[in-house]
Amino acid sequence: MTESLRSVSIHVPVLARVEGEGALDLRIDNGEIAELRLRIFEPPRFFEKFLEGHLYSEIPDMVARICGICPVAYQATAAQALEKLFGVELDPWARDMRRVFYCGEWIQSHSLHIHLLAAPDFFGCSNAIELARIAPEEVRRGLRIQALGNELMDLFGARSVHPVGVRIGGFHAAPALSRIKEMRDKLRAALPEAEALVRWAARIPVPQDDQGFVSVAMRHPDGYAIEQGRIGVSDGARIEAEAFDDHFAEHHEPFSTALFCTYHKRPYLVGPLARLNLNHAQLPEAIKALLAETGLELPSRNLFHSLAARAVEILLALHEALRLLENYRPPDSPWVPVTPRAGVAIGCTEAPRGLLWHRYEMDDDGRVVSARIVPPTSQNQGRIEEDLRLSLLNFGLDQPDDALRLHCEKVIRNYDPCISCATHFLRMRVART
Amino acid sequence: MNRVCIVGVGSPSGDDQAGWLTVDALLDLGIRSGDGVVIEKLDRPGSALIPLLRSTAWLIVVDAMQGEGEAGQIQRFDETGWPHYGHGLSSHGLGVIDALMLAGELGSLPPRLDLYGIEIAGTTPGSSPGRAIRAAATRLAAMISDQLASGFSIPPGTQPGYG
Repeated sequence: MTESLRSVSIHVPVLARVEGEGALDLRIDNGEIAELRLRIFEPPRFFEKFLEGHLYSEIPDMVARICGICPVAYQATAAQALEKLFGVELDPWARDMRRVFYCGEWIQSHSLHIHLLAAPDFFGCSNAIELARIAPEEVRRGLRIQALGNELMDLFGARSVHPVGVRIGGFHAAPALSRIKEMRDKLRAALPEAEALVRWAARIPVPQDDQGFVSVAMRHPDGYAIEQGRIGVSDGARIEAEAFDDHFAEHHEPFSTALFCTYHKRPYLVGPLARLNLNHAQLPEAIKALLAETGLELPSRNLFHSLAARAVEILLALHEALRLLENYRPPDSPWVPVTPRAGVAIGCTEAPRGLLWHRYEMDDDGRVVSARIVPPTSQNQGRIEEDLRLSLLNFGLDQPDDALRLHCEKVIRNYDPCISCATHFLRMRVART
Repeated sequence: MNRVCIVGVGSPSGDDQAGWLTVDALLDLGIRSGDGVVIEKLDRPGSALIPLLRSTAWLIVVDAMQGEGEAGQIQRFDETGWPHYGHGLSSHGLGVIDALMLAGELGSLPPRLDLYGIEIAGTTPGSSPGRAIRAAATRLAAMISDQLASGFSIPPGTQPGYG
């Protein structure tokens, strides 16, 4: 009893090895959480402001620079928004290849997160190098899958980091059939590896947690939504991208330079587990059978199933890329002409980390008047804090400080926040009162 | 299995272009990708460095470093003396040393690995590299070119592996 009423202050001043800068403050007074803040103090990047005045044709390459891990998401969302405003009907080839391109990004980003960032937590390892010591085959397999994702991005983007293949109206170029044939062989060869990855990921012992939360992900009647669809919510709501502001609101907290986004004033989850929770019925039958074999039940209320969800989406992305490349023929032209017009362009896709929403106000010449981008991490920020509270209560506030810190880190990394390209906190200061 | 892979790591931020400048200087000296040689500029490759080690017998990596020396100073490290570093130089989780250590755990390192660091000063985004960095890149390229000309041998019994 005495132990449960202790007061603890855990301050993690810098999230080390991160893409971006953040920190965690946790104070427990008399056995209750008195303060819990995920602080993001990286200076604002003003990216939306940079876009103002630029021509529509420059936007895909500019927004690709927002993220080194998920540039395709930014390109595809901007292109979708502007093409909708300009009344562009994509060639079916370009529409399919946008999805293939996106699949490459899901494969590389998810594999990176599983093997290099999240999995070490569940094996008592402090990093991927230690994990490679005890699970070398699994790490090698992960690196192979990640490299294949990069190769797929390179095929359509000319390079995998900050690719430059997308243009408004399609792609700048179409890969030759010979390169597609090589890629198909590689994708086929990767299928059994990805199936083994799903089995492995589902067997990883994770904390048992049970939380009620709102899942938000795009949905599409024709298949598992990636690059198009409407916004779906686990409460049954279906929302057009244009109506985003009627349901979601961003607000500023003084301790964070990233905006917090809420759904009718409640935190919500975006990302692989939210997608799988809402769209698992649309998985290919082979993947459903594999899921049944693993025993992973959906929808899941345990956020620690996010790692397995990423593995499932890797397998899905391989299936999708193969399906769409099966009858590949280079098009007469990889793009259609575009005539800009003034108005408001809104787009929405599923980045590896979750829903990504763009809004552009354009002038008659096709230049950006104003831009607004809502990335997945700002949407998950409130949910991460909520998860930390619930998860810590479930874990037990009377646990040793080191265990509490590690548990907090696990919870945060589980979301693969974009501020965190990496894994572990650098320093922790514990003060007792 | 006797490929030489030369990698210049960098970014467009001032002196951080040291690795790229070294590759440029090697190209000026006539070193080109072709039979048995791969020469590349990479921008913070992370784990993507590891697939490059496949079929590589000799890996040469040039990267910017911030140590105790003056800007432009060149240091060579072999596997027994890789520099330790704190966080702050790479905003990405997996730096060059991390990637090489991971490759080491996976048994993927080539038989010969030369890691060169060029001491840098400023890394302001968009700025030009300093004169000392340009000179160091030229010196290092000449040194690497001489080594390539004199050839190398793989120690008996060691074969590079890649999983």
